[in-house]
Amino acid sequence: MTASSQHTAILHTKAILIPSEDVPIEILAKHHVDKIWRPAIKLKKCPLPLFMGKVSAGFPSPADDYLEKTLDLNELLVQKHAATFFARAQGHSMNGAGIFPNDILVVDRSIEPVSGKVVICAIDGELTVKRLIMDNGQWKLQSENANYPDIMIYEEIDMVIWGVVTNVIHSL
Amino acid sequence: MKAQTCFALVDCNNFYVSCERVFRPDLQDKPVGVLSNNDGCFVARSSEVKELGIKMGTPLFKVQDLVDSHGITLFSSNYALYADMSSRVMSTLESFAPRMEVYSIDEAFLDFSGMREDLVSYSQDIKKTVQRSTGIPVSVGIAPTKTLAKLANYAAKKWKKTQGVVDLSDPVRRDKLMQLTPVGEIWGIGSRTQQKLNAMGIHTAYDLAIQSPQAIQKQFNITVSKTVMELNGVSCIELEPISSDKQQIVCSRSFGQPLTSVADISQALSEYCTRAAEKLRGQHSKVHCISVFVRTNPFSRCDKQYGRSATLKLDVATQDTRVIVTTANTLLNHIYKAGYRYQKCGVQFSHLVPVSTPEQLILLDNQRAVLPKENPTLMAAIDKINRKFPKSISLGSALSKGVWQPKADQLSPHYTTCWNELMVVK
Repeated sequence: MTASSQHTAILHTKAILIPSEDVPIEILAKHHVDKIWRPAIKLKKCPLPLFMGKVSAGFPSPADDYLEKTLDLNELLVQKHAATFFARAQGHSMNGAGIFPNDILVVDRSIEPVSGKVVICAIDGELTVKRLIMDNGQWKLQSENANYPDIMIYEEIDMVIWGVVTNVIHSL
Repeated sequence: MKAQTCFALVDCNNFYVSCERVFRPDLQDKPVGVLSNNDGCFVARSSEVKELGIKMGTPLFKVQDLVDSHGITLFSSNYALYADMSSRVMSTLESFAPRMEVYSIDEAFLDFSGMREDLVSYSQDIKKTVQRSTGIPVSVGIAPTKTLAKLANYAAKKWKKTQGVVDLSDPVRRDKLMQLTPVGEIWGIGSRTQQKLNAMGIHTAYDLAIQSPQAIQKQFNITVSKTVMELNGVSCIELEPISSDKQQIVCSRSFGQPLTSVADISQALSEYCTRAAEKLRGQHSKVHCISVFVRTNPFSRCDKQYGRSATLKLDVATQDTRVIVTTANTLLNHIYKAGYRYQKCGVQFSHLVPVSTPEQLILLDNQRAVLPKENPTLMAAIDKINRKFPKSISLGSALSKGVWQPKADQLSPHYTTCWNELMVVK
């Protein structure tokens, strides 16, 4: 709020604000206002509810001592929070690896993409999930479905590894 | 003598653009711009866009031709995404130094004092780790003071040869760079100070560094004289590791289209109040003073102009959204005048106090008689639900999808904060 504070005024509302008479003139002068308004008094009868509850005085649970924290799936699925992203799978090319359409992939960008890992990579700017394989000195992206061909990674191909898939969340 | 200080400034390159590119690898090396609220102006530009001469803050309509002819991809600001990516970058950086100051959404100072590593290769390591973990490219400037670390970072970004890391520990190198750097690029030198310095014949950072701090203090102020000391390698500005809570909270935005009815403005204002109240509770404060302002579009020549603000000081500080919304709307009804096309409104909280501050005893508690009763439990419950399911609970007066909502036609998915908007891989 830039210019507005310059012409800030203390305000009144007919309905609920009334001028306050007991403010010393020095205070008004100090704040550059000519009147200070306060909310009007509206006296209302407020019946106070009377509570009559029971005070519990039973035995504490004998299991209280054994309370442990509850299980958190993040602990199981996420090692590095800052580097972990989720992605939605589409298509059937990785069915053999247990990845089906609509599954959620847990992707850790900080893990080294070595041969054998399932990775997300960008080929010509398009994101895809495949298994990274080094085979006889040749890198390739392998599908896990016979209907989909493997992709050989030659130097002229624009390919960037985005992250390593660590888990699949699949609804049944 | 004090031990030699050493700071690193890690700054994300074109941060908003980089965030968008992480999830859109097809946009690597392509011109990309991010627009301000309401899709008005450029607030982030890829290097390709900068090369086209589009400056920070340029209104979109002025360069629409360039955008079309060069196929610039534009995004509306996706603050949920940027905030999430920022916290990923910051928590990655945390492990690299014993102390860190998060300076802004895309910059952090690290304390390198007393570290024995080769700082340049250590910083290359930081750069690689952040890029790998988060996808965000960063530059690092290393120097004995924060001001020089900023300068080093400026150099790291400006010259590709540096590979994104510049160490200004060496005074000779420092002087050389300062001779090449306009004084206005120095951290803390605003445009007015710069004009005054230029008039005195001080044009480069080096010109400023050779001034006497005492003389500068006389002609300017202590801040500028500290800058002179800092440029000479004497650390005067310390690291502030703990983010100090804000003393003021402002939430204001331009409307998606000009509004004329008080009901529409009130809806927008209620929404801004709700956001501001969330922030207020997030930092465990209560507010005493609530101000509201409205204004027309000052750039529109054909519209009659009007703008006003009003403030109300509450007897009892509050953090209850309902109290705040009621008060703000009372103020709005007072400053609103029919017959104008309003472009913007906002709410500002000032005079904030910690929640734990005891209330003064008030003999005639007028406020409680006219305003909703404070209910911290209810507010805590709403905050908890809204954290889980963003914006799922709001007051009736702030019902969303109003005509006031800012334009965000090019908004990218909330890739990291919404299950329904995850990036898709084939």
